[in-house]
Amino acid sequence: MHELFAGHFIDINLASALQVVLLGFIGGILSGFIGSGGAFFMTPGMMNLGVDGVIAVASNITHKFGKALVGSRKHAAAGNVDKKLAAFMLTTAIIGVQIAVWINSYFKSGGDGHGADKGAGANLYISLVFAIILSAVAISMLRDILKSKGNGEAGAGPSMKIAEYLSRLNLPPVVHFRVADTKVSLWVLMAVGIATGYLAGTIGVGGFIGVPAMIYVFGVPTAVATGTELFLAVFMGGYGALSYAYLGYVDLRLTMLLYLGSLIGIHLGVYGVKVVNEKYIRMVTSLIILLCVFSRVIAIPVYLRQLGYLNMDAGWDAYFNMSSKFFLFASGISGALVILMQVVRAYRQRRQIQKTLLVTRKPGLTSTESAKAA
Amino acid sequence: MTIVMISSMFQSGREELAQALARKTGWPVLCREELVDEARKLGIKIGRLEVAMIKTPGLSEKLVREKELYLAFLTATLCEKAGQGNLIYHGRAGHLLLPGVSHRLRVGLTAPQEIRIKRTAQALNLTPDKAETYLAQLDEDVGKWIRYMHRVDGRDPNQFDLFFNLENMGLSNAAGILCATAELPDFQATPASLKMLNDLNLSAQAKLRLALDERTLQADLQVHADNGVITVTYPPEQDRASQYIPQVLAELPGCREIQCTMAETNILWVQERFEPESENFGQIIRLAQRWGAAVELMRLLPPGELPGETEAHGSNPDYGYARQECALAADGGVQDDDPQAVTDDGGLGRTEEELVDLGRFGGRHTVCGGYDQILEQVQGSGRYSLVVIGDMFMSKGHQARTRQTRELALNIRDRLKAPVITADELKSRLLFGKRQTATLLGYLALIVAIYALVFTNQKPIMDFLGGPLHQNFKIVAGVAVALFSPLIAYVYGNVTGLTLKIINVD
Repeated sequence: MHELFAGHFIDINLASALQVVLLGFIGGILSGFIGSGGAFFMTPGMMNLGVDGVIAVASNITHKFGKALVGSRKHAAAGNVDKKLAAFMLTTAIIGVQIAVWINSYFKSGGDGHGADKGAGANLYISLVFAIILSAVAISMLRDILKSKGNGEAGAGPSMKIAEYLSRLNLPPVVHFRVADTKVSLWVLMAVGIATGYLAGTIGVGGFIGVPAMIYVFGVPTAVATGTELFLAVFMGGYGALSYAYLGYVDLRLTMLLYLGSLIGIHLGVYGVKVVNEKYIRMVTSLIILLCVFSRVIAIPVYLRQLGYLNMDAGWDAYFNMSSKFFLFASGISGALVILMQVVRAYRQRRQIQKTLLVTRKPGLTSTESAKAA
Repeated sequence: MTIVMISSMFQSGREELAQALARKTGWPVLCREELVDEARKLGIKIGRLEVAMIKTPGLSEKLVREKELYLAFLTATLCEKAGQGNLIYHGRAGHLLLPGVSHRLRVGLTAPQEIRIKRTAQALNLTPDKAETYLAQLDEDVGKWIRYMHRVDGRDPNQFDLFFNLENMGLSNAAGILCATAELPDFQATPASLKMLNDLNLSAQAKLRLALDERTLQADLQVHADNGVITVTYPPEQDRASQYIPQVLAELPGCREIQCTMAETNILWVQERFEPESENFGQIIRLAQRWGAAVELMRLLPPGELPGETEAHGSNPDYGYARQECALAADGGVQDDDPQAVTDDGGLGRTEEELVDLGRFGGRHTVCGGYDQILEQVQGSGRYSLVVIGDMFMSKGHQARTRQTRELALNIRDRLKAPVITADELKSRLLFGKRQTATLLGYLALIVAIYALVFTNQKPIMDFLGGPLHQNFKIVAGVAVALFSPLIAYVYGNVTGLTLKIINVD
């Protein structure tokens, strides 16, 4: 057992410190490559090391705040942040978060949505929402990829059917977002903002929902959706970090160790996005999400048994929980490994390419080809 | 020889104005609809392209290729017709076609909304209300189309030479003014403008051939032409297609040399004079080698910097406002065999040779004017990962030069939607030198000190953050965490960023 600091902070030795750095590294790669915060992987990972659920969430949100602040500055410099859209999303998302809190309170939970086992009813509810919503996102992404393959379009972009349909509805008042170059009905904005906030408050994955919602429903370009979501994360993360730190739940050491791994991982993930083709990125993302969903689905029988809906030996809980954790870690680690492999491959290819020059003078005559080292 | 390009929104009278002008001049008329029909016969999916561009903010690679193919077809057809003599063209964005050709007269046209509604209602058999809604939607869609196709606002007055409002002017009078304007020397062909037309034609013909040949149609190629030299850059993964490029372009009339460069991306380097021995050249080459990029050269001659300025001042009272020709390109594309007669090309030739030797050449242009002219030149080709503004405004003092260079960079960045940096910034931001080493060491020392401080004083710090001490300093603890976390992220983020830059992972 770990010695506890101040009653609830674990003692960190070299081995546990390295494991937190590794969690940060994998979370960072996933974050840089697929655009999610990586919380779905890092928070349960820290809990697995003996960190209390609330401390894990608080330390991770503080880590996310700093990361988002630095990242959104870069995105803003590149013109990828639509502050007006972020303001609308933030206002409506707060309402959604509040609705999620009310529903969770109804289930008398206190569950944080990252795997903390505090109330079977809430856990079941959270797992079901997680499984349904993320399955829908992953399947629609896979369907897009398969469809584009069928059409022979190597780099087809995301489907815009929902955005087109909603823009045709033309429900006034319509708000124009100049940076994103899109017009969205206020009603659609409110519905999506509240839904995003509700899902972020329920299953704790804001970026996973916010970014696809902006792309598929509002028709916002991918870079602007990512930049705006990161800008939003600054406020949500800042508010979360301040609140948790005020309550005394932030373990700054964990935050710092996460930074050690994640900031290298993010660079590698972003590099991966530059060198790997878009279809591959979406395929890896959807497969990681599906594995996460599978890990949640495996845990459902345990909650059903605890609620008395399923007659199952309690001794089996440990196996279900272990399998659930296995698939969660498998999704993160295998996803990160696949991305790293691609990054290394692209890096080596780039080094090997050097350059080729092919000059043909007076067409019709023999072409000369020469390759030189860089 | 003049090319009149008339642009307007739907039912604003552009066809009538074109016909009225044709009756006065006897010049042939070509309209967008004819070109679209011809493009469709060639297999270009205009309808799909229009729907996708208007409705979808992001486009797939295939549609981007379709867009470039369509633009190449329009350019090639217009160049061919314009090469035969005077021409009147009318369309929704004709004024943005044939960029850089100074003997085209770009005409805009607008008509009162009520007349447009009335005409639309009659033409489409709609009620006035429905016609109004239809026109509003169509105008918005066409605006989006123009912005996507040409990356500029179609209504930007800077893009026109002449603009007519038909509210108080009849078509016949407008045609009369147009006729007189087209006769002005400003809109007559010159050797430089004919060279530009030839270059555009050759590059468009090459793009068409490559896009329609099954051996190269899937390849993502960038094509430029200058004085009969076609430069094609292709990404490394399409190495196989590259062997067919010379074969596909072999019989292309007007092509005397083909240069193919493998590149993952393109860097546009804008400068007044080029020197292969200069520091800028070395830095850009280092960056190009790191990124696997091809370097496209653009020699920009700012207004007032042209050779023979004094004479021009004396002979032309409009100097500084009227269109300016490049004296350097006035050979009309004809190269003299006598080496003694070679004109001053601002070091472009030598720099090109050096880049070709290094396998980094991505094309060359010479432009007179400012950012509008740069944008005109790179329209349709501009997929740059970086635009570097090198040494510009060399005749000005240091401060004026710095300010004007910065303004130029800002204007290009706004309009081209690509990262634009000056040569000074290139060194400090993208390359690793002594300054970056010092920054890295400074941040590294700071981050080591912070981590050592926290991990050697865990107990008091954790007491402050969540232990007994925390109860007395809740707000201070909250603020401290909120300030400390981004500080670590910033300092350590710089350390990781610079370290990865050393090993070329950026």
